[in-house]
Amino acid sequence: MQITHEQISDGLKRARYVTNERVETAIFLALALEKPLLIEGPAGAGKTEVAKVLAEILYTELIRLQCYEGLDEARALYEWNYQKQLLRMQADEQQGLRWEELSEHIFSRDFLLERPLLKAITSPSRVVLLIDEVDKADEEFEAFLLELLSDFQVSVPELGTLKARERPAVILTSNRARELSEALRRRCLHLFIDFPGTEQERKIIELKVPELDAKLAAEAARFVGAIRKLGLRKPPSIAETLDWARALVQLGVRELDTDAVRTALGVLLKHEDDRAKVESKASTLAPRRKSAT
Amino acid sequence: MARLRDQLVNFIASLRDAGVRISVAESIDAMNAVAAVGLERELMLEALAAALIKDEADRAAFDEVFDRFFAAPRTNRGEHPDQRGEQVSAAAGRGRPGENPISLSRDDAPLRKPEQPRDGAQSNDRDEKSSPSDAKPSKKTKTAHRDDAESKDAERKSEETRGREQQEGAHSREESGSPGIDAARVARLRAIERRPFDNFSRLEYDEARDALAPLIRRFRIRLGRRLRLAKTGRIDFRRTIRAAMQRGGAMIDLNFRARRPRHVDLVILADISGSVRYAAQLMLELMAGARGYFRRVSSFVYVDHLAEADFEQGHLVMTPALDLYARSDFGRVLGELWQRRTGLLTRSTIVVIMGDARNNRLPARADVIREIARTCRAVVWLNPEDPARWGTGDSAIKQYVREVKLLVPSRNLRELQAALTAIA
Repeated sequence: MQITHEQISDGLKRARYVTNERVETAIFLALALEKPLLIEGPAGAGKTEVAKVLAEILYTELIRLQCYEGLDEARALYEWNYQKQLLRMQADEQQGLRWEELSEHIFSRDFLLERPLLKAITSPSRVVLLIDEVDKADEEFEAFLLELLSDFQVSVPELGTLKARERPAVILTSNRARELSEALRRRCLHLFIDFPGTEQERKIIELKVPELDAKLAAEAARFVGAIRKLGLRKPPSIAETLDWARALVQLGVRELDTDAVRTALGVLLKHEDDRAKVESKASTLAPRRKSAT
Repeated sequence: MARLRDQLVNFIASLRDAGVRISVAESIDAMNAVAAVGLERELMLEALAAALIKDEADRAAFDEVFDRFFAAPRTNRGEHPDQRGEQVSAAAGRGRPGENPISLSRDDAPLRKPEQPRDGAQSNDRDEKSSPSDAKPSKKTKTAHRDDAESKDAERKSEETRGREQQEGAHSREESGSPGIDAARVARLRAIERRPFDNFSRLEYDEARDALAPLIRRFRIRLGRRLRLAKTGRIDFRRTIRAAMQRGGAMIDLNFRARRPRHVDLVILADISGSVRYAAQLMLELMAGARGYFRRVSSFVYVDHLAEADFEQGHLVMTPALDLYARSDFGRVLGELWQRRTGLLTRSTIVVIMGDARNNRLPARADVIREIARTCRAVVWLNPEDPARWGTGDSAIKQYVREVKLLVPSRNLRELQAALTAIA
């Protein structure tokens, strides 16, 4: 299916994903050139969301592989279902099958446990494959991904090489816990998603938390933008901003003054020293001084 | 179209000159990307960036080169004819950019209008490259400009959508450029990982300690994985058969032998004099974080004497206190270590020495290292100095290198971590 730039941009809008030209172009290119897209950026900037939205746009399934230290092929690609093979062997024992027949049986696709990567490759239709937090996986695993990402094929010794019928749309995300290898970067298109600007964040808040007063939303966006610049240990992500906005609604805050900022700060900041830092500056950061009522 | 290809090749060459690493495969991607999105300036910018720029730190250089090659259309015709006349108007995408000579020289940069300062540290970076008139073209002038140009097949969209998109594009560029908080933070961490220890300042040491935290975590996970129960490897028959008894003798569940934790004692000797001080402290802190994965870790620091070292809440504590400005004497330190060897140096000990082996021409006592190497499992030397300078001046490293099992340069955090991972 040939997809156009407009379709992507409309799709993103329909999926209520506030974005910019950069993101749209990168997604479009990943689909047009059939290349994996590597998305980097801070935690909670909406990297994983891109893959979810993309699956929505393409009306297809999202297959997700969460990476972690020690992730191996057995977890990511395939594993033989040992228990099932054993049962089969015991069941076949009475029939007196020859070894050749038997081995053909037990090393067939029926006994293969498909893990996310193999599932994405063998899927009959185009799917979206999300390889999440690839920086958490080991370097060896990264090297193993190379064959998959450049040729979209994997080798299973007993079955031969399996080639993708429909190339999946691959999204890799990374928090940059470590730097990825040049080889992997070379095979991917690259997109960097940073925290949104104030204006964009306001749009996101208005879209996702419509209950919040528009004026307050703008103030909240400005406040979050300001505290991100303080050099905190963990700057608040978009998800936390939204939680905070919801908290403001629940607390019935009408004006974002110093007190209002203080009460719900725990939603926004997850480190004690960050909190202390912001609280000490709350009076200058809060859009409004405490009203003299 | 061949001209456009040449131009893109030139563009990529300039990027390479600016220090961005681009492979041939990536330049082919870039061509395909441009073919896919067309010649609209904003789209082309992002398409080329997605295909060529794989590290956000290179983005500023990319923007600069892009602006040099594919200038935005004149906002007001007749204004700065000398500046714009030579440059290619790729935004309107006329499809024949090759007609004008592309100015590759760097000296057209000073001709640009002085940019207005804007807030946000990162934004300055970007704004320098695009003068405000580039970033915010008014819809009217854009349309006017487009009207007089002939339409090519590249123009498939209606005027209105284009005008809107260009406006949005310019807006989004401004938007995405302004925060850059995380990009700046990560760029700083990356830079500090690569910065050589020998010109560290106090401030940089503090930054390096921030960068150390994720390294410690990774190091710990790496060591800890060894100890976890194995999922593959040698089968533990006793446990497997016992489990099979519950299932009528069929070995449904396989049990594997857990790997044995390594019995490794570490003895760390770190030089905290002068220039190698920061390197030593960072190494000690890194190892202190992974202490639990070795049977015993004894840390020492030295200048002219040996002192026991410990980390308490991020601060180095040594007993007895050393005179940091004394003349380094590693020979004597080795002698002191050798005297304490009972119980400290055994067959399962790995001795890690961190220092530049600049001994002020005092006796090097390489023979003591030989004795230590004979007693212990291994002696590993990490040298924070540039290998080119090893053995010059009062460096005694060439005498020690014969006796140690491994000599690794660890000029920056990245090399240090790689070296320690290799040992552990």
